[in-house]
Amino acid sequence: MSLKIAIVGCGKIADAHAEEIKKIPSVQLCAVCDLEPIMAKQLAVRYEIPRWYGDIAAMIDAEKPDVLHITTPPQSHLPLARQAFVAGCHVFLEKPVALHHCDAEAIVESAVAAGRKLAVNYWPRFEAPALELRRLYETGVLGSPVHLESSIGYDLGGEFGTALRQDPEHWVHRLPGKLFQNVMDHVLNKITPYIDDDKPFIQAIAWCGEAGVGGNGRGELLDELRVVIRGTRTSAYATFSAHARPVGQTLRFYGTKNTAHVDYAARTVVLERKQAFPSALGRLFPPFLVAKDYLRQGLSNVSSFRHAGFHFFEGMHRLLNEFYLSIENDAPPPISYEEILRVSAMMERIFEQIYPEVRA
Amino acid sequence: MKVLVTGAGGFLGGRVVERLLAHGYSDIRCFLRDRGKAERLLALQEKSPGAQLELCYGNLRSKADCALAVADVSLVVHLVAGMKGAPAEMFADSVLVSRNLLEALEARDDVPMNETRVVLVSSFGVYGVVPLRRGARVDETTPLEDHPEWRDTYSHSKLWQEQLFWEYQKKDGFELVVLRPGVIYGPGGGAFSTRVGLQIGPVFFHLGGRNLLPLTFVANCAEAIVVAVAHPDSAGQVYNVHDDDLPTASRYLREYKKHVKRIRSVRLPYFATRILARILEGYHRRSQGQLPAIITRYKAAAAWGGNRFSNAKLHSLGWRQLVATPDAMTQTFEYMRQQPTKG
Repeated sequence: MSLKIAIVGCGKIADAHAEEIKKIPSVQLCAVCDLEPIMAKQLAVRYEIPRWYGDIAAMIDAEKPDVLHITTPPQSHLPLARQAFVAGCHVFLEKPVALHHCDAEAIVESAVAAGRKLAVNYWPRFEAPALELRRLYETGVLGSPVHLESSIGYDLGGEFGTALRQDPEHWVHRLPGKLFQNVMDHVLNKITPYIDDDKPFIQAIAWCGEAGVGGNGRGELLDELRVVIRGTRTSAYATFSAHARPVGQTLRFYGTKNTAHVDYAARTVVLERKQAFPSALGRLFPPFLVAKDYLRQGLSNVSSFRHAGFHFFEGMHRLLNEFYLSIENDAPPPISYEEILRVSAMMERIFEQIYPEVRA
Repeated sequence: MKVLVTGAGGFLGGRVVERLLAHGYSDIRCFLRDRGKAERLLALQEKSPGAQLELCYGNLRSKADCALAVADVSLVVHLVAGMKGAPAEMFADSVLVSRNLLEALEARDDVPMNETRVVLVSSFGVYGVVPLRRGARVDETTPLEDHPEWRDTYSHSKLWQEQLFWEYQKKDGFELVVLRPGVIYGPGGGAFSTRVGLQIGPVFFHLGGRNLLPLTFVANCAEAIVVAVAHPDSAGQVYNVHDDDLPTASRYLREYKKHVKRIRSVRLPYFATRILARILEGYHRRSQGQLPAIITRYKAAAAWGGNRFSNAKLHSLGWRQLVATPDAMTQTFEYMRQQPTKG
C-alpha cells in the first residue's frame, strides 16, 4: 500500500519534510497547502509535488491523504490536527506540539478518539548517536541513569534567528515560551526517556545574554536558559544558549556504570569508563581510550557517509519511516503519547517560571 | 508627488533616495523594516531640510503596513527582495510582499491607478541565458528563464516577482517600469558575485574566468532607477542596468587581491566546471542530497556560460554613468580594505 501524504504549512521547515518524504519510495507526496497559495505553489514547484491548495478543507476533501504533515506555526496545530483526525488522516506534527499543555492533551485525545496515529517531529531522538546511546543503555553498558545534561546551541545570526529578529510580529514572539518554546522540545525529549517521574521538580532561569544581540528591538527576547530537573532517582540539566560557540547539540549521560557523551553535530558517542588500572596508570590511559573511541566513531562516520547516511535530517527520515510503518502495520507509533505529553508538560512548567506574566 | 521607496534601508535603497532628492523629488516616504538601518536616511533628512523625508517602519508581509505605506503615493519604487535565507523566506520577501503591496495599491481610493507609476527593480537573473551560445549578447529582448526552479532561489523568486507585477499591471492599468540590474556593487555590498566564483571552505574557486561581469556601481544603479522613474517614455518598458566599461571576472578578482587582501583562489576553466558539475549532480542524485548540488550544469551555464551585455536602451533614456568603473572599483575596494571582515 502506498500512503498518500500531504503537507499543510509551506514555511521554512516544510522543505525538510518534503525532502525526506520524497526519499521514501513507498509513499507519495500528493499535495501541499498554505493559506498563501503563493507559498504552497513555490514548495510544489521546487519539489515537483503535483498539486497545491490555499484551503486545507479543499485539500483534504480532494486528496484524501492518509497522513497530514502539519508544519504551520503551533498556534494552529490544535484546530488543524482535529480537522485532520475527523477527516480520517494520521498526523505528523512539527514541534512544538501546541501553545499549551492542555492543547497537546486535546490533540492526543483527538487522535485516540479518531483511532488515528500521531507523531511529533522529535527527529534528534532518531539520529544515529541517539540510537547508539539507547543501545548502550539497554545493553546495560551505562547502568542506571544518575544524571543527564542536555544542551543545545542556537545561532541568532542564522536563517531562522535572523527571520525572527527582523520581524517583531514573527509567530515565535507570540508563543508563551517565545524562542525557547520553538527549540526546547529537542532538549527535553532526549531526557524524558530516562527520567523516572511524570512530574519531576523543575527550576528554570532565563536571561538575555547580550543586549542588542538576542533582542528583537523591544528587549523581550530572552536567549539563555538553564533548567534543573529532578525526578525520583534521576536528575538533569537542560541548557539553551544563543551565545556559546560552537553551536551544538550534546547529551551527557552519567550512569551508575559508565558515562557517555553524545555529540549530535559531530555524530559521536564516547564512553568514559571506570578505570581498571591503579594509581598514576589510571590517569595515563584514559585519553588513549577516548582517542580510540573517537577514531572508531570517525571511521564509522566515514562508512556512513560512503553509504549516504549523513543527511542533515537523517533522524527525521528514520522517524518518518517508522511512523509510516506503524500506520501500515497498525503498530504503536514510534514515540509514545505519554512521552509527548511529558515533554509538553515540562515545557509549560519552564515557561511559567521564566515568563510569569504570560501565565498571568 | 509623493514617492514611496520600499527597502529604503537597504544597500541600494539609501542611494535611490539620495538620487531622488538630487533630481528634485522632495516628498519621499522611505519604508524600511529594520530601525538599525536608518542611519543613511537620517543623515539625508538632516542634509535636506527643505525636503519631506518620512521614515516609515514596517513589514510588507503585513497587509496593514502595506496600506500605510501606499497611502497618498503616486510613485512607488519597489526595491524589496529576499536576498538570502531559506527558500520559503526568500519567496515570502520577494513575491508575497509584492502581492501585498499590489493589493494595497488596488484597495486604496486616494490616488487613481491610472495616475500611479510603479518602478520595480528586478534582476538579470530572470533571463533564460542557458540556451544562448557562449558570447551571445543579453539585452531586453532576451527570453525569460523557462526553468527558474533549476537556477538559484533568488532568480526564481525574482522572476515570479516580476511576472506578478506585469499581471497586476494588465489588470489595474498602472504605469509599470521594470529595471533589471546586473550585479550591484559598492561600499557596503558583498565582495564577490557568484559570477566571479564560489568560496568553498578556505578556497575561492574562480569560475568566471574572462567572462564580462555585468556590474553596476550602486550609485550608478540608483541614478538609472531615478532616470527611468522620471522619463515619460519608460512606462511599460524594461531596462537592463549595468555600467559601461565592464571588467572581466579575472580582472575583478585580481584587483580585489591587490587592493583588499590576498585570498587563496583556484582557477577552474569552464569545461572543467561543467565536468565538476556533472560529477556533483550525479553524486547529489545517488546520495539523495547528502551534499547539496551547489553546482549543476544548468547553474554553471547560467552563471559562467559567458555573455556580453547591452545597456543601450538605458542610455536612450539619457542615463549617464555617474562614477566611472575604475573609480567605482577603487571606492569599493578601499571600503572593503578598511573592513576586512566584510571583504
